Amino acid sequence: MDPRKIMQPSFTAKYVSYLVPALTNIGKQASPSVGRCIDAEKIVRYEIDMALALSAEGFAWSHALEHKLRLNVDNHNHAGKSQSYLAHDDDHRNTMPVNHEPAAKKLKVDRTRSEPEAAEEEEERLTYLRKLIPGGSGEMMVDDETLLSELGSYVSCLELQVNVLRSMLQFN
Amino acid sequence: MLHRLESLESCNYNGMDVAVLERQAARLKWQQQNYVVQNNNLVELCASSMPQFQGLIGSNIGSGQMVQLKRPEVFLGSGDFQEFVNFPVAGAEFGDSEKLDLVPPEAAADYCISRTSSCQMTALNTSVMKEEREDMVLEKMESTTGSGRESFNKRKPEAVADHKGKNKRIKGEGESEVKTKCSTEISRNSSKENSKASEVQKLDYIHVRARRGQATDSHSLAERARREKISMKMKCLQDLVPGCNKITGKAGMLDEIINYVQSLQRQVEFLSMKIAALNSSVQFNVENLPMKEFPAYVANFPAAAKLPAMAGLPYFQLNPLQKESVNCMLNESILPAQTATEGIASASVSISEQSLSSSSMTQLQPFSTWNMDPQGSSSNLTVIFHSSSIVRVEYIRIWHLIRYTPDTDTS
Repeated sequence: MDPRKIMQPSFTAKYVSYLVPALTNIGKQASPSVGRCIDAEKIVRYEIDMALALSAEGFAWSHALEHKLRLNVDNHNHAGKSQSYLAHDDDHRNTMPVNHEPAAKKLKVDRTRSEPEAAEEEEERLTYLRKLIPGGSGEMMVDDETLLSELGSYVSCLELQVNVLRSMLQFN
Repeated sequence: MLHRLESLESCNYNGMDVAVLERQAARLKWQQQNYVVQNNNLVELCASSMPQFQGLIGSNIGSGQMVQLKRPEVFLGSGDFQEFVNFPVAGAEFGDSEKLDLVPPEAAADYCISRTSSCQMTALNTSVMKEEREDMVLEKMESTTGSGRESFNKRKPEAVADHKGKNKRIKGEGESEVKTKCSTEISRNSSKENSKASEVQKLDYIHVRARRGQATDSHSLAERARREKISMKMKCLQDLVPGCNKITGKAGMLDEIINYVQSLQRQVEFLSMKIAALNSSVQFNVENLPMKEFPAYVANFPAAAKLPAMAGLPYFQLNPLQKESVNCMLNESILPAQTATEGIASASVSISEQSLSSSSMTQLQPFSTWNMDPQGSSSNLTVIFHSSSIVRVEYIRIWHLIRYTPDTDTS
């Protein structure tokens, strides 16, 4: 996808340029106690997510993500923690089996499902996608078209992010 | 669209038949909103009036080009079907104009097209039509005798544009206004129709072709346009998400997208945990990457030879430390694809360490401006792009794992 190719180097550059110094800062500040390790994880996660949000300016999801992250930081500032921007990881995992079920059902009875039921399933999936993408339930992504465009950019940026992180770890 | 062909083939093409005309006129009256039939009638008439056309029409039907002749139907306004009462008159004119070869199909098309422009006029100006018809003959000749649908498709917009230009010339300013009102007229007038129909093709509007049995009211048209946009976006997503080529159907696609997004998010989570672990315990490895190792890069950015950090990158408001990391990271991207990820990794991690050591600080030189170099970065693009494909390959590899086993990240 051409826009993705154009976006990649700038995204990767921005991402690394934000994340690497942030990580070194964390490294400097963190004390080697166990308690802090958990916090360090959260902080690292925060920085990683923030790097994603800042590297992909101009999308509804990136604005929403940044906003959410800053809110989280404010809320948890006293504790020094920050949470993943995803709906709580536990919830996140719990909802997954639910998602696979309708998928299996759908695969078995694909052709025999009547249209309204298929539309319902689509709606289910779309609402689920809205939970996955930051800002999916917000006012910016009310119509399905926007949602799908944002999904496209979000998926590309996630891929890039995974690439960068993996590269960073690979030669450590 | 074969059903349209069938209806055509069932028509009587043997010569001009007044009874046929009358029959068709009657048909027109009580099938008012049936554009396709009307167009069929037009074509039938033309074919019947011009026996020499039979072969052409027949061949067109066979090749499916007849369908293309219907394309002008999209110009038909639903507006005033009284105009079609004049059709026999036009048909008679077709008969009169036998001297003009290849007139009727083009004329039919022209008729349809001019119908567009005059959709709000109650009185059909057949003489004007005739002028336009003659003007359009050559164009339509080209299009109907074109080698294939594609050529017709290509020429059609030209014909349309020409036609509209001519309309303005011949009929005056009122024309364009009439045209702009057409589509709204149509949606209003056709609000109750449920038979097969088509919408006036308006360059200003999103044109949607109604299929057989679909309603044509403005709501459903807008709905259809929206659905087409959505299906377009779904196709784009299909390109993005690996392993979706065989999946048809929106729900399946959405399912795949959900799985992919979740997989990516899980990967990010896992990687972040790893990085957090490494960050606290181990410093990122240092690998110094001198510029001379990357001749291609240096060639692209001659200034780089002098400086450890690279110019030619977008200006990101970076401090010198960050600039260094960005430089080296992009620097690495010149490397061959298989080492792209390695390069990026080593560069980025090395810089983080370098930035800490005082000795490296002396190597860094602040840049006042960075020039965006799209040319130079194009090579970076392809190389970096390869690295993302690695993610996708791995995703496909663990796709089954995700589906059938408990989640295991293998990064």
